[in-house]
Amino acid sequence: MSLFSVLSVGASGMAAQRQRAELLVENLANAETTRTPEGGPYRRKDAVFESATVESPFATVFGAQLEAMGGVAVSEIVVDQSEPERRYQPGHPDADKDGYVAFPKINTAEDMVDLMGASRGYEANVSAISAVKDMIQRSIDLMR
Amino acid sequence: MVDRISGQLERYMDLLSSRQKLVASNIANADTPGYHTRDIDFQREFLQSAGLEPQVSEVDGLRTKNDGNNVSLDREARLLSENALRFNVASQLMRSRLRGVRSAIQEGRGA
Repeated sequence: MSLFSVLSVGASGMAAQRQRAELLVENLANAETTRTPEGGPYRRKDAVFESATVESPFATVFGAQLEAMGGVAVSEIVVDQSEPERRYQPGHPDADKDGYVAFPKINTAEDMVDLMGASRGYEANVSAISAVKDMIQRSIDLMR
Repeated sequence: MVDRISGQLERYMDLLSSRQKLVASNIANADTPGYHTRDIDFQREFLQSAGLEPQVSEVDGLRTKNDGNNVSLDREARLLSENALRFNVASQLMRSRLRGVRSAIQEGRGA
């Protein structure tokens, strides 16, 4: 248990929030995408977090298993399985025989709000890291 | 350690870093469904003898959100800066004690 392992905890939080933000941006970018490699319109993706152990690479080499619990990780990426939104656009190349096009069911406002949440979460982890970095610096100053 | 007070200071700083780790992990898990805020009883741990791992418990009285998570970022932000400040004070005190020892060593040399 050392202050250095706290840095790994903060870093795991930053990584998880960054991954969530990436998915949200992907959703926003693909809000009108009607063709995907899997076929059909794009489907909304979201990250699910779970608390996880963080490992400092040094600890494993050193053989001392530091108290590891406390980090966070993306446990799975959920793909929205709800029915796509059907809009009447007969001229569209992807329109079905009735003239309806299946568009991704993405609420841009919802994704923007989640994106703000991810960004604030990222900032909170950065503050945690800088507070701990300051504590480590104080300990180093004791040796001067 | 050098004397009893330095030993106490060391314990205090140890506990502060344990607590800071919990605060950091609460912040990291602020969006984890079903996660509960964790903390240590600082006063009780401080009175206990040194060397024991502090006991971690869940915090009561926080509002649980719809996803079962009860992390309050305001609480964690406050504790984060409080711990850093307390650590700062403790390390200043420790420095002044060490300075005392150092001057005892160096000043004695000339005689």
